Amino acid sequence: MSRKVVEVAGRRLSLSNLEKDLYPSYGFTKAHILEYYRRIAKFILPHLKDRALTLKRYPEGVEKDFFFEKRCPSYRPVWLKTADVHRHSEERMTVCLVNDLETLMWVGNLASVELHVPLAGVGSPETPDSMVFDLDPGDQANILHCARVALILRDLLLELRVASYVKTSGKKGLHVYVPLNRKETTFEDTKKFSKTVATIMQKNYPDLVTAKMAKEYRKARVFINWSQNDSSKTMICVYSLRARERPVVSFPLGWKELEGLAGQGNPEKLLVIQSEAVRRAEKQGDLFREVLVKKQKLPHL
Amino acid sequence: MKNYSESNRRHEMAVQGIWSGTISFSLVAIPVQLVKAVEPGRVSFRLLHSKDYSPLQRRMFCPEEDKMVPPDEIIRGYEIGPGKYILITDEELESVSPERSRTIEIVEFIDLKEVDSIYYDHPYYLVPSKGGEKAYRLLVEAMRRTNKAGLAKFVLGEREYLVAVKSTEGALALITLHYRDEILPDEGISPKEEGIEDEDKSRMQRNIKKMMADFNPGKYADGRRKKIVALLKKKVKEKAPVQAPEIEEEEGEGPADLIAALEESMRKVKKSR
Repeated sequence: MSRKVVEVAGRRLSLSNLEKDLYPSYGFTKAHILEYYRRIAKFILPHLKDRALTLKRYPEGVEKDFFFEKRCPSYRPVWLKTADVHRHSEERMTVCLVNDLETLMWVGNLASVELHVPLAGVGSPETPDSMVFDLDPGDQANILHCARVALILRDLLLELRVASYVKTSGKKGLHVYVPLNRKETTFEDTKKFSKTVATIMQKNYPDLVTAKMAKEYRKARVFINWSQNDSSKTMICVYSLRARERPVVSFPLGWKELEGLAGQGNPEKLLVIQSEAVRRAEKQGDLFREVLVKKQKLPHL
Repeated sequence: MKNYSESNRRHEMAVQGIWSGTISFSLVAIPVQLVKAVEPGRVSFRLLHSKDYSPLQRRMFCPEEDKMVPPDEIIRGYEIGPGKYILITDEELESVSPERSRTIEIVEFIDLKEVDSIYYDHPYYLVPSKGGEKAYRLLVEAMRRTNKAGLAKFVLGEREYLVAVKSTEGALALITLHYRDEILPDEGISPKEEGIEDEDKSRMQRNIKKMMADFNPGKYADGRRKKIVALLKKKVKEKAPVQAPEIEEEEGEGPADLIAALEESMRKVKKSR
């Protein structure tokens, strides 16, 4: 195993196997992954801050086996920030908090290509900061179908004076986020609200949308997965790399931009690759910033 | 799916110890990781609902109110009499929990033969971390030759344990020991000695001697486990597995007010599109 010791923000980090090609079909090594996360750090860190990280590790690259790790590995450096969480009936668990660049680098070094976080922070695990609609295309549907659903969803929510924001999942779907940022809203609320919205969408667009998870309903339709609004679930963090053939990123889009892309009819254009992600983020800033700060109340609950 | 989870487990075992720190005595400090030494061969089953094969969950139930209790309504009580409890908070429990150990400090060396095996609780291995390999080998060898074990106090999870560190074939093992208070007395179990003839005693001893053998654990295996695994393999080949429903979806409309507002908004959205 090759090792290289670097200093990040005054912390010494021992990085291993930097030359290992973790995206072999594309040619993207662990060093490249760390470089991507270093460059995107100022955009991704606010979205990871104080959230229980779930590592999704690909020690042999994205085309081989992966494993999820919710516990923060015990061999972590002493300076690494952690939190103890314990959900009812589960034993206490120490989780990593990625609050700074050095932790982000350490996590990247574990070949944790994908970074998943819950919708609530560790300080208030039952209070989501946002509500999400996870749009997942079934067989014979694609991300363009998701774009249509996302745009209808945006308009529907706007009628209720609720603003929403959209990002690509980095795989096949889109994620629509509704910022809440108020401690009175619970997962019970967001689940009830999102499920009702999904049901209404299905009723009005039965050929395009399903609110049911079972595969037979999802064929050629977009599944609006409302059940992600749960304290036990995690979402891929905005700006995180995804493990697929190419280093594609879960990336925020402007609504106007999505309208344009939906009109062009080329699903490929909805994939944002890592180099483009850095360039665009630096140019346009964090399009997902409002998700962290905007305060909204869900009406009619 | 099965293969994935197995290789996953192997991987985690390879990289992740249960604890890492140093083992030390006098001036020696060796960086080590604690890993499992045994993997109980129990075949475990999920409990399913016979009607739709859904995996079942355990829930907390309040018999008084005849309903499920959500996590934020659950607290701890220590029972001091019928229906009487002393409440204990998480914070209070935390305040009496020992700090996590950074070192396993050997305070004395003992002869392990003196330790009745009834004190043995759970075995682990200690694996040398980078830089500690040489000192580790030295300690393994020295302990093996002297046939001694080190005694230490060690916090694992939320509990402080008395542990014995001993040399096995080529590695250090750590065995958590029961405290003396935990061992139940054996007095009164054996009936009073009366009317046993010397002749009976020596016959018994001769019988034992006749059956003496070297301990060879490889000769024994959990027969039931083997049969269960064979049975499962056979059934996998013969019969397709049953499928659990993907998610339980209780039908339910949602708040009437919200539905009305959404229907109204939906009409406007459709009109403007």
